[in-house]
Amino acid sequence: MPHSNNHTDSNNVATEFKGLISQLREGVHPKDSQELLDRLVPLALQYIRKCPDIFDSTPPLPEIICLDKIMTILESNPIWGDEDKPGSVFHEHYVVASCEIEDHRMRDLLANLILFSLENDTSYGKVDYGQQASIARPKTESKIRSSCSTTLQSNGISLNGNKNGVSVKPSSYDSTQNSVGLGSVPLPNYVVEIAKQNNTNTDYNVVQNAIYSFLGVQGKYLKKDVITGRFKLDPLSMQSISSVQAGMLLRLSELGYYHDRITKFSNTTTGYNAMGSMGQALMAKLKLELSEFHGHVAALQDQLNCYRETQMRDYVDRDKSWLDRQPEQLTLFKLLCWYMEPLRRMQWLTKIADACQMKKGGDLASVIYKFLNNGDPMVNKLATDLLTVCCAPLVRMISKWMLEGGIEDSHGEFFIESIDEVGADRLWHDKFRLRHSMLPKFVTLELADKILKTGKSINFLREICKVEEAVKDRKELKFVIDNHVSHIFSYVPDTTWHAAIETCYSQTSKHVLDIMVGPHKLLDHLQGMRRYLLLGQGDFVSIFIENMKDELEKIGTEIYSHDLSAMLDAALRCTNAQYDDPDILNHLDVVVKTPYPGDCGWDVISLQYTVRGPLATMLEPAMPTYKALFKPLWRIKHMEFVLSTKIWKIQMGNAKALRSLHDEISKATYRLHLFTSEIMHFVHQMQYYVLFEVIECNWVELQKRMQQAKALDDILDAHSKFLQAISVGCFVNTSTNMESHLEVVYENIISLENWQENFYKECFAELEAREKMQRAIAESEGTGRFGVTTEQKMERDQDRKMFEQKILTCCRTLEGFAGSYAKAVGGFLLALNSSDDHNLQLFGTRLDFNEYYKKRDTNLSKPLTFEHWRMSNVYGYSKSHMGGRYSMYPQPTPQFGRQGHVSLTWD
Amino acid sequence: MPSEIITLQLGQCGNQIGFEFWKRLCLEHGISPSGVLEEFATDGMDRKDVFFYQADDDHYIPRAVLLDLEPRVINTIMTSAYSKLYNPENVYLSKHGGGAGNNWASGYSQGDKLQEEIFDIIDREADGSDSLEGFVLCHSIAGGTGSGMGSFLMERLADRYPKKLIQTYSVFPNQDEISDVVVQPYNSMLTLRRLTTAADSVVVLDNTALNRIACDRLHIQNPTFTQINTLVSTIMSVSTTTLRYPSYMNNNLIGLTAPLIPTPQLHFLMTGYTPLTSDANLSSQVNHNPLSSHQPVNVRKTTVLDVMRRLLQPKNMMVSTGPDKTNHHCYISILNIIQGEVDPTQVHKSLQRIRERKLAQFIPWGPTSIQVALSRSSPYVQSNHRVSGLMLANHTSICSLFERTLNQYDKLRKRGAFLDQFRREDIFKDDLTELDESREIVDGLVQEYEAATRMDYLQFSTTRRADRLDGVGDAKSEDTKSLNSGDL
Repeated sequence: MPHSNNHTDSNNVATEFKGLISQLREGVHPKDSQELLDRLVPLALQYIRKCPDIFDSTPPLPEIICLDKIMTILESNPIWGDEDKPGSVFHEHYVVASCEIEDHRMRDLLANLILFSLENDTSYGKVDYGQQASIARPKTESKIRSSCSTTLQSNGISLNGNKNGVSVKPSSYDSTQNSVGLGSVPLPNYVVEIAKQNNTNTDYNVVQNAIYSFLGVQGKYLKKDVITGRFKLDPLSMQSISSVQAGMLLRLSELGYYHDRITKFSNTTTGYNAMGSMGQALMAKLKLELSEFHGHVAALQDQLNCYRETQMRDYVDRDKSWLDRQPEQLTLFKLLCWYMEPLRRMQWLTKIADACQMKKGGDLASVIYKFLNNGDPMVNKLATDLLTVCCAPLVRMISKWMLEGGIEDSHGEFFIESIDEVGADRLWHDKFRLRHSMLPKFVTLELADKILKTGKSINFLREICKVEEAVKDRKELKFVIDNHVSHIFSYVPDTTWHAAIETCYSQTSKHVLDIMVGPHKLLDHLQGMRRYLLLGQGDFVSIFIENMKDELEKIGTEIYSHDLSAMLDAALRCTNAQYDDPDILNHLDVVVKTPYPGDCGWDVISLQYTVRGPLATMLEPAMPTYKALFKPLWRIKHMEFVLSTKIWKIQMGNAKALRSLHDEISKATYRLHLFTSEIMHFVHQMQYYVLFEVIECNWVELQKRMQQAKALDDILDAHSKFLQAISVGCFVNTSTNMESHLEVVYENIISLENWQENFYKECFAELEAREKMQRAIAESEGTGRFGVTTEQKMERDQDRKMFEQKILTCCRTLEGFAGSYAKAVGGFLLALNSSDDHNLQLFGTRLDFNEYYKKRDTNLSKPLTFEHWRMSNVYGYSKSHMGGRYSMYPQPTPQFGRQGHVSLTWD
Repeated sequence: MPSEIITLQLGQCGNQIGFEFWKRLCLEHGISPSGVLEEFATDGMDRKDVFFYQADDDHYIPRAVLLDLEPRVINTIMTSAYSKLYNPENVYLSKHGGGAGNNWASGYSQGDKLQEEIFDIIDREADGSDSLEGFVLCHSIAGGTGSGMGSFLMERLADRYPKKLIQTYSVFPNQDEISDVVVQPYNSMLTLRRLTTAADSVVVLDNTALNRIACDRLHIQNPTFTQINTLVSTIMSVSTTTLRYPSYMNNNLIGLTAPLIPTPQLHFLMTGYTPLTSDANLSSQVNHNPLSSHQPVNVRKTTVLDVMRRLLQPKNMMVSTGPDKTNHHCYISILNIIQGEVDPTQVHKSLQRIRERKLAQFIPWGPTSIQVALSRSSPYVQSNHRVSGLMLANHTSICSLFERTLNQYDKLRKRGAFLDQFRREDIFKDDLTELDESREIVDGLVQEYEAATRMDYLQFSTTRRADRLDGVGDAKSEDTKSLNSGDL
């Protein structure tokens, strides 16, 4: 056993070797050098043989490289002449000397030893190696043995498949060994020896492999799986390492897998990366993380290299102190300890980056935001860092948008988008909108809305109102917004950032509001529309109708709008409208629609309120609603006009004129008067309901809201709600049949007007005939003749009879109108009473305030009964009306009988 | 200008209430007694041109025609502060100045004689307006000028302006005290006939009720004419407030009256007003230190519901209809004009409450309800009430007023008393059929109102005709009898 030679012997060898080396380095005469070199290699060999297992790993450099280096060193020595070629001489000697060495390891060691000896400087003399070594020797000796046996032992155990051995501490094992008495005499176990040979060789490789794998580099033992990308053990070289090492290697290699993944995620070319500028920020951050990791790994590698270099050096120096330093050696265990933290970091990074694949903008931020909610402070910190980095571009976009109204969003990742196709005229309502998919989860819809409105307002001010002056204190706001990126995802939106956004919003809103309400008179215009389009200015409307009544009667094709404008102006001048702001009145216009055949003036003439400039942008979407609302209002005014100034007034006048005919026509006139008053009641109640309860009440509400408004959108929202409420109240676009019932009522009014005209024509003809007769009698009496001839009298009587007949016919026609009117009103009331809208129900009761209709038609009270509610809930609406309560009977016969009975009573 | 209304003031009473009415309008519109718009009233959102027109020098001049047969009242007006307000050409005083002597027939005949001059004024006034809507006549029915000449004018106006509305504010005599005008029942009867046949709507102002309200509600022991007339002017001004302060509805006379009057004869309207405060109360509040202990404390909290409910109470009505024993009388229609700070939604709730509690009884033969018109009130007249309301109602019990007149008339007529002065005039020269015809028409009116309380009002025309055909003989025999007795 070479290493069991006595110490002096080995010391001698070392001294001699060192002497040789120093001679070689100091330069010897070329003649001597032959001899020197001759001696050097065998000496080195001898040196090594003393303790060949000192290295438990592969020598730092391969043999070839060492030889190269040695030759270079020797050649470079100025002592040698050019012709000497000491390198090649050395090589020759080396080859000769080492030819019989077959062990590669031994050869490597040999080469390394010589190289290190040559490279090492003059430090030999300083330390008395022999002495030191002798002092240290007993300890070292045992150490060597123990280390050997430990390795042996652990190997043995692990060969037996028992992993428990891993945890056994070498020192404690050592003591046991000694106490058992195996102590000084090592066991000449050949198998162990071989394993040990391999082991010392592989240990180093395994660690190196592990470090390689951290960076995703394949090594001898660890190969990458093509499909999963994970590391796996190379089946060929797997034999050479223990399964413990294999297990540890595999565990360590996980880090490499994550490293690979992150590399992939942080590279734009892979297609696994996050996108957009926020994605770029994320990738940059990932790369930063990677390079930090690389730094750590490099440090490890450095540690490994250092250790091996010192080990070699010490070996060369025959310095046993490296055995003390052995704990400094990198082992898989140490790596396992070290790798826990980077692993977790890399794992989370991978997890986050994986989730962020192909994501961009707010979506990306939302994804990262999800990881924020982690109890682990490390993860929390990591996610916060990532999100902060990611949000920086977003915050920049927000600040640009909110302060300058610009969108710089080439990747489509901002949660506000501008639609290019929409022109400036629809800037306020349609040009900008929220891109909900890009809205980060931590930005509430409310906040996003505020942000949207702020930028929109700035755009609006600049492009529509041509207001260039910006709101003050912008710089400060910009600073706050830009520099508090991480505030954006704070759990409680009470940070300075949020406050700045809020301030910005309220300032801008206020500014827009001031401009719209101030110079652009928004409120006045709304008031104007309410007054004129929604017929709030009653005197104006009635005078306008009065002025145009001839035009309104004409057929549609004969009406020209220029005639009407003059009438409109006249109506405006002579009513209270004259006190209104002329600015408002200028917007009011009368328009004539293209008439359809059969349309009269009432159908084609309408009022229009033209808005321009910024107002148009604001109110454009509301204008069709106003148009739609104007129609029923105009129609009801039409009806009121017909009823009062045409039907009622003529009735009153004619009642005086036709007093003498009273007896004959009273039956018809009474029916007429009562029918008229019934319709009048209906129309007035209807008008009152629409104009007062619906419009006025909602208007009051709107005004209240307008006064409280802090932003323009508050007003617009309130306004659109106002319009909506009115639309419902005015029966515009309702799905029910109320509209059609109303139409029947209105048609009856028109036919009543025509009927009345005919009726009075007949009456006046009769009256005239009678008066003529009277005059004739008086005349003839005056001239002394007898009143009338029998013929005349007969004729008169005939006419009179015919007149009575006509009146009877008229009565019948009138009854027809009354019938269809009553049906329509009944239907309307039923629809009102069955409506879900409480206000409509109340309107129903109002129309029938004295329960006149209810008493006549039992159906009307039904929708308000509990029975109805119950049945309509169980069977649906229609059944409850068609004898729904009987459908509960299973037998068909009684059901039929009863239903028949019911329908009979209803008829 | 739009929907103008010409006011005709007739006789002592008519001119007095007219005077108060114009005073009130001037106050509300911020027009000084001389017709100049006050400084503070230049930016008003009111409509002055319905009742006023502007002269060349921008003075506001009432569209009023003042007519009387004796100079006393008109002289008082023309010497008052408001003398410069009126157009002097519109003031007509009969030249002989003797008045009508509380004789309807005299007034009527004088009207006939003076009609050319009177209609010169009226026609000129009517021509001066763009679209005249109608005439408002202020008069009493018991005296001579207001009733007689008023009757004549109504008939002529109906002929001459068949398309214009004729509304009257007619003061009915106080029934509680014995009148010094003995022929009052005759006068009333004859005027009632014209009110029935020639007017389109009559706002009945019953002196009985006005006095009672002044005594009971305002605690005035012996109310003067001025105090009573203040009440009347309040009613007149509030009932025209929707015309003068236009809002969304009821902005013309026809829109105001048409829904109230279902058939041409049933056009007698009652009024009610709440809360009532006397002028004295108001002025004392204005004059005294508001902190002084003498100031009457306003204990009422007025809400819309309160106002509407109080308006339905008979004690607030300006017509005393006497107890309704059979409790069958009912409202044909109601219009409430509400002024003051009103929450629109409150109106709706109040109506619902009134309906639930059945506070008002309505006709059974047609749909009807309480209409509400919210009106702005003048910013220049301070009221110490938050909300005030006027009711214009068509109520069938008004026929009791006519029945009363009929009874009084019958008593006199049976005795044939005091007919001599009537016979002196042209219209009664030949016989007294005018009186009997009037009675018949007024009786028909009473019957129509009675019929209107019943379900079968629609058949009224036919039943009435049958009644009349039956009763013709009786009436004639009665007439001849009375004629005979009168002759004897």
